[in-house]
Amino acid sequence: MAYLQMQGITKLYPTSGVLANDGVDLAVDENEIHAVIGENGAGKSTLMKLLYGLEHPDGGEITFRGETVVIKDPFAANRLGIGMVHQHFKLVSDFTVAENVVLGSEPRKRGLFIDRQTAVKDVGVVIEEHGFSVDPKRRIKDLTVGQMQQVEIVKMLYRNAELLILDEPTSVLTEQEIERLFVTLRNLLERGKTIILITHKLEEVMQMSHRVTVMRGGKVVAVRNTSDVDKRELSRLMVGKDILLEVNREQKTFGDPILELRDITIRCRGQGRPLLDTINLQVRSGELVGIAGVGGNGLAEIEDVIGGLRHASSGQIFLHGEDVTALGPEDLREVGLAYVPADRLHRGASLPSSVRENCIVTKHHDFLKAGVLQRRNTREFTEELIDHFSIDAAEGMPVGNLSGGNIQKMILARELAADTDFILFSEPTWGLDIASSQFVYERMLELRARGAGVLLISSNLDEILGLADTILVMYRGRVVGRLENTEAVTKEIIGEYMLGLRDDSEPVGAAAPSEVHRG
Amino acid sequence: MSNTSFPIPMLHSTIRIMAPFLLAAIGGLFTELAGMLNIALEGLMLIGAFFSVVFAAATGSLFLGILLGIGASVAAAYVFGFISLNLRANIFITGLATNLFAEGLVMVLAFQIFGNKGVIRFQNLPKLPVLSVPAIQRIPVLGDVFVGHNVLVYVSWVMVVIAAIIIYKTAFGLRVRGTGSNPDAIEATGLSPRRYRMYAILISGFTCGLAGAILSLQMGAFVPGITAGRGWIALVAIYLGNKTPHGILIACIVFGFAESFSNYAQGAINVPADFILAFPYIITVVAMIAYSIVRHYRLKGSER
Repeated sequence: MAYLQMQGITKLYPTSGVLANDGVDLAVDENEIHAVIGENGAGKSTLMKLLYGLEHPDGGEITFRGETVVIKDPFAANRLGIGMVHQHFKLVSDFTVAENVVLGSEPRKRGLFIDRQTAVKDVGVVIEEHGFSVDPKRRIKDLTVGQMQQVEIVKMLYRNAELLILDEPTSVLTEQEIERLFVTLRNLLERGKTIILITHKLEEVMQMSHRVTVMRGGKVVAVRNTSDVDKRELSRLMVGKDILLEVNREQKTFGDPILELRDITIRCRGQGRPLLDTINLQVRSGELVGIAGVGGNGLAEIEDVIGGLRHASSGQIFLHGEDVTALGPEDLREVGLAYVPADRLHRGASLPSSVRENCIVTKHHDFLKAGVLQRRNTREFTEELIDHFSIDAAEGMPVGNLSGGNIQKMILARELAADTDFILFSEPTWGLDIASSQFVYERMLELRARGAGVLLISSNLDEILGLADTILVMYRGRVVGRLENTEAVTKEIIGEYMLGLRDDSEPVGAAAPSEVHRG
Repeated sequence: MSNTSFPIPMLHSTIRIMAPFLLAAIGGLFTELAGMLNIALEGLMLIGAFFSVVFAAATGSLFLGILLGIGASVAAAYVFGFISLNLRANIFITGLATNLFAEGLVMVLAFQIFGNKGVIRFQNLPKLPVLSVPAIQRIPVLGDVFVGHNVLVYVSWVMVVIAAIIIYKTAFGLRVRGTGSNPDAIEATGLSPRRYRMYAILISGFTCGLAGAILSLQMGAFVPGITAGRGWIALVAIYLGNKTPHGILIACIVFGFAESFSNYAQGAINVPADFILAFPYIITVVAMIAYSIVRHYRLKGSER
């Protein structure tokens, strides 16, 4: 009998009628790293929620260490020795590391009061034993994303977890932080822990796991020893067909500049270093420029400045040679900006509004007759988009009811319908599965082939390396690397720029955007 | 009124007047930290004011009156919390409903029991005991300002200290603050955010009940509209005090002084009485605007 055995697990979400898990079997051996992979909506997160007591199964049985168990809530899971590290960290940002770790099982003195000294000491011991590098007294909001994840792991170790579930642990980490995490995982393995790794990145599966369970459409479609499979087979099992992002590095010539940023700087009162420091960049016709960087280093600010949502303290922005520095979002769209924002749920779409309303919002003036929206025209327009982009939705449906992939498709459809020759993508595939990501990439490449200028802001290096002609790397608000995407450019090199280990930036004012450094 | 003796009694009454603000705001602080905008403070206070004076008169015991007044207010808070949390109604609407319900309930009961919708006086009502410490009283200014108040005024100061200890030193306080900052974090540890929200609402019921008791018992009567917007001002005090017990204390001193000033100024300064009576409310608005300006510059203010 396996260490953990989940048998015939079934879970139906009654409100949406989705059968998220349909007779799922999962067997995990003691002291292995077991990967559970699948596209978004394959049911892997649901399965883990059931195991951690956040949801309750409608059918099936869980056996852990030889005993049949019912896991009522996360408390019960913790008592059994099951811990979970969530994809979206569940931390209180203005509490300290120690406070977050002990939250819910605080050491007490005189029954009522928190024993802060003991908390800091005990948490310090766990941190030290496992070779982590966070100070128990620091506040979460002062930590890097990698450190926050360490806190989540420490939280579970503090509760004596023997089986650790990691849900998409690398989705928010840099290349170096991922390496670091892998070292941690191997370390935990040596200490006899068992790890379930939920992911849709095949690279990690190949690198880290002993065995892999593949899920699709709420069912388990395959269980394999990792040494017996390759990436291509896994991706075919996951998606049901072959797709892999092919790196495209042919030499190209570009046309005239379409978007240009000159010395864009954003200073913030009370902060020494500017959020953006004399940014110069140019996107030419037929060029796909990728901006890489770790969150908090200016990517969001570049998005905001180009999108017109935030004005620069100094510097200028040109679109088609026209100075658009002072324009707001609406005027920018008039002069030819199309924009797919990173925050697609708030900035990219209005969730309570219908698909139709979301599709026409950027060009609703075109549908007015005597100040009244022409219902039939808007509907036809929307249905055309739905059809053309194969969005799984009806035009009258609230956008909030759509899946993440379909929301992104809808936003993409709307932005591409504007037919501009410049488009800004920010984190366009964040949280999307392989099939939806592929769809986004294809559209991006079509745009470039058509001669549009494309700017891609992304923390996903595979994406940047696979698509961009020119790569800019941001660190602490500055462009520290400016590389032509050639064979010589690797993830590791970009990773070093991202962490500030390499810095090519010239003294202020000297950097000419056209002088591209050969990687 | 001579100009030299004028400030001392004004400061003395500042201390007395601020007590209900302080209590209501401290209770509201708990709900605020748990992540809820509790607009029901006013209504809970009114219920406390009515029932404490009625029960004190009926039983002849101040202690029982206060206890039952608080009990009524906590019960109302429970209903408010149950509808908002368990039945998931919008907390703003239920808060509004609590205020309207409190007003209606008090009026109906007053008319049913006393046959009177106006001021209800109680003849045999015991007086709130007044604290006197001759040793301190002899100290000029300090003694005049801080001594000689009824016991509930001192209770309100003690409550500030207790609240600070609960919020910052106990596991309970940590969990309440966690609930407000990130309920998902609380839930992920297996705790129930809803439970801590309910506790916070009950605490606000407790302190508002006591706040109401001070109002009616020190007057020895119940007057319709006796709370006169104090619950709302308490809400403002929470924000002005930056959601900390000591900050709230300072904010309440300002509001207490504003009301005290308007009481004294009515006879002393040649300004229309309406304006002077509006003074505490004007201070509230001015303070709120000043607060938001300061906050805006501290947080955002990017140099251009």
